[in-house]
Amino acid sequence: MKAICLASAMTVVLLALVTFCFRLYPSAHRARQMLFVYFFCLAVLVALWFATPDDLGLFGQSLLTEPAWLDFAATLFFFSAGFFGGALQLYNLCDRGFSLRILVDMLEAPTVAVDVDYLTTDYSSGRGLVWMYRKRIDDIIAARFIDRTNKRIVLTAKGEMFANLFTNARRVLGLEPPQ
Amino acid sequence: MTSSPALVALAAAAAWFVIFVFVHIGGVRAGFENARSLLISYTACFLGTLVTAIAVTAWHHGMQAVILAAIMAALTSACLFALYVPALYTVLTSLSVQTMMLLRRRGGALPEAELYDRFASRKIMEQRLATLLASGYVAPKGPSYQLTPRGRAIAKFFRLVKILWNLGPGG
Repeated sequence: MKAICLASAMTVVLLALVTFCFRLYPSAHRARQMLFVYFFCLAVLVALWFATPDDLGLFGQSLLTEPAWLDFAATLFFFSAGFFGGALQLYNLCDRGFSLRILVDMLEAPTVAVDVDYLTTDYSSGRGLVWMYRKRIDDIIAARFIDRTNKRIVLTAKGEMFANLFTNARRVLGLEPPQ
Repeated sequence: MTSSPALVALAAAAAWFVIFVFVHIGGVRAGFENARSLLISYTACFLGTLVTAIAVTAWHHGMQAVILAAIMAALTSACLFALYVPALYTVLTSLSVQTMMLLRRRGGALPEAELYDRFASRKIMEQRLATLLASGYVAPKGPSYQLTPRGRAIAKFFRLVKILWNLGPGG
């Protein structure tokens, strides 16, 4: 139970710290900002795990996770999954989710029903689909997956390695890569 | 020798999650590439995890240990699912990933304009709206679309998080 309690409490602290950072220290690199908060919280969590008794002064012997190394590993796993599968994904969906942005645009539209042309030109509060795709291209250029030369987009060696990985993952799922 | 309830829970969660992954991959290969089949197969494996963890622990231990095993198993399974789903949707729907796969397939380079025609066009919006329609988040209204109550609730929740986190429109 110690693993569950400590990891849950630290996930709440992480969400509070992320909210605090996003509101008070706005940055263009929010995912990086979140990673810093994650590593800080992870260090505090490790220190807390070693500093606190196995029963946290609350639980009986039968509610203790044994062996102790398993409790430590579970603490790290629960907290990391909460971050990479929870908080970071929530941020990704909010800031980069294509389908989600369409839903929010429909919510904020002046009329109840909107057509495809409206959604295409007014995507993301009027920025449009070209802005959306440019943002993605710029991000994968910054991550050195692709490069831009003479109005052509070129896959880098790193990009090719990841493209192979994703193509193979799609093959496992029985899906063809985009034509 | 009796096994640790936590170890039993983690082993049950891991084993059932492997079964879930195989079932899900089999489902996608058979054409069930939607969120409903993902959730149905996960729910079945989640219940399998709980039943296994509870049954094996109850064999050797008391009620408190069974509770510990059940909570550990449920949380481990949920964490594995939370890590699996984003990875899956990255492969299935990410435009950045699709761009890289298309480039690889077309010899490693394409004119930028061709990529914009492909990924920033009316067609991609139509495809996404079709997915949202199939998932029940939007409904047709003549030639247009409107939010369903479910789509409205999702949009309101995420708009709230955007405001709380000071994110701007995004997308």
